[in-house]
Amino acid sequence: MSSIVAPVAPDQAPLLARPYYANGAPGPIAGTMAHVPELLDVAMPFIGAALGPGAVSARLKEIAVLRASALLECDYCVRSHTVVALDEGLVHAEVRALRDSGPAEDAFTVDRERALVAWVDELATGRGAVDPVVEARMAEHFAAAEIVELTLVTTTTMMLNRYCTALGLPVSATVAERLSAEGLA
Amino acid sequence: MSADTDPGALGRLGSRLWFYSNYHCNLQCSYCLTESAPGVARRQLTADQIRDAARDGRELGFDSFGITGGEPFLHDELIEIVADLAAQAPTLILSNATVFTPARLRRMEAWAGLPVEIQISLDHPEPDVNDEMRGPGNFRKVVEAIPRLIDLGIGVRIATTLEDPENADPDEMDRLCALHRSLGVPDSHHVVRPIIHRGRAVGNTLGRDVVFDDFEPELTLTADGAFATPFGPTVRGGRLDTDLLVTRATAPLSVPVAALMRAAGEAPAGDDARTGIR
Repeated sequence: MSSIVAPVAPDQAPLLARPYYANGAPGPIAGTMAHVPELLDVAMPFIGAALGPGAVSARLKEIAVLRASALLECDYCVRSHTVVALDEGLVHAEVRALRDSGPAEDAFTVDRERALVAWVDELATGRGAVDPVVEARMAEHFAAAEIVELTLVTTTTMMLNRYCTALGLPVSATVAERLSAEGLA
Repeated sequence: MSADTDPGALGRLGSRLWFYSNYHCNLQCSYCLTESAPGVARRQLTADQIRDAARDGRELGFDSFGITGGEPFLHDELIEIVADLAAQAPTLILSNATVFTPARLRRMEAWAGLPVEIQISLDHPEPDVNDEMRGPGNFRKVVEAIPRLIDLGIGVRIATTLEDPENADPDEMDRLCALHRSLGVPDSHHVVRPIIHRGRAVGNTLGRDVVFDDFEPELTLTADGAFATPFGPTVRGGRLDTDLLVTRATAPLSVPVAALMRAAGEAPAGDDARTGIR
């Protein structure tokens, strides 16, 4: 699929976008957002804060990110975060289950991870209020702050899923090579 | 004190707020930053956009306005816009001075008593050399227009753009200065500046390379967004340069002002600028 918007080239990086070009061309998300630097300027720090290191573990965050991306069928996000999920210690069976549009809970043995998968499934595919059963399981295993953080991780991912899919962003060659090597292309 | 009321709130930003009123032009100069020409897209700011930004600009501490292009006088409402702006603060228009028809000059009588100045491009004392860069008949129209503008009470400034100002021929400069003095423009109103290696000058291998730190930050509004300097919204090969873009949003004006202040805060002080381009 071709991209409807090309990333801003390094020699054209607007003033507020330049920190993202300090080491050359950034990834396609920052590179395309650079067309509107005042949005890049607030969006990337927010995305970084939501998806980056936080109070909940990186493993939990990647479960949420990969599952939401699979359910919203974002090729860019699924492939990119498959690599991140593997780096955070998820095993192939867990990754495959999260990437599959079918039930994923059974791939996980820890109750709170199973509750999180159910929570993300509700957020990514549901409409209106969350199923009370799913809500109760989430409340049983996570504190309020954790629920907020994981919900923001999931919904921020959903925003990016649609952004990356709509703009047809391509994954890097490095990601593609890693996925091939892992048998997860 | 809030940014809305503090006259010093602009910090290191230049206190003149610039507008690219339009991008089209009746000329096609070899070093034009914006590749302006008769057939290019106009990309005009509307009169309301300019008036609203000027009003906000005054509240934010800007003390003068500048209008450039393209040829600003090709904007249908330019004369009315300038009257509104100059009623609020001194207003400078950059023009090629080749479109001052008797009818337009009569309309400009409405500026009587207002602090309006027009900066006119004149590059060489010899008509044929001047017109090489700027087009046939340019020299004659300019020298005819200047006395007429002065008669209307409009301040006239001359801008001379050269490939290598530091090594300009002294005799040529003497003759150019004698010419502008004879037309009623004093030395204090004559600026000599280098060709910038942007826009059409790139294809013609003219001018010197510049970066953000070379300029005094001066907020410049265009139809494509807000830029850090009037030298920013250049066009090359039909594509807008964005390396000096500040924000796509131009209203409310506080958005690009705050963004430019942030960007400028990381740059050397304006009086340290290397080429002193103004």
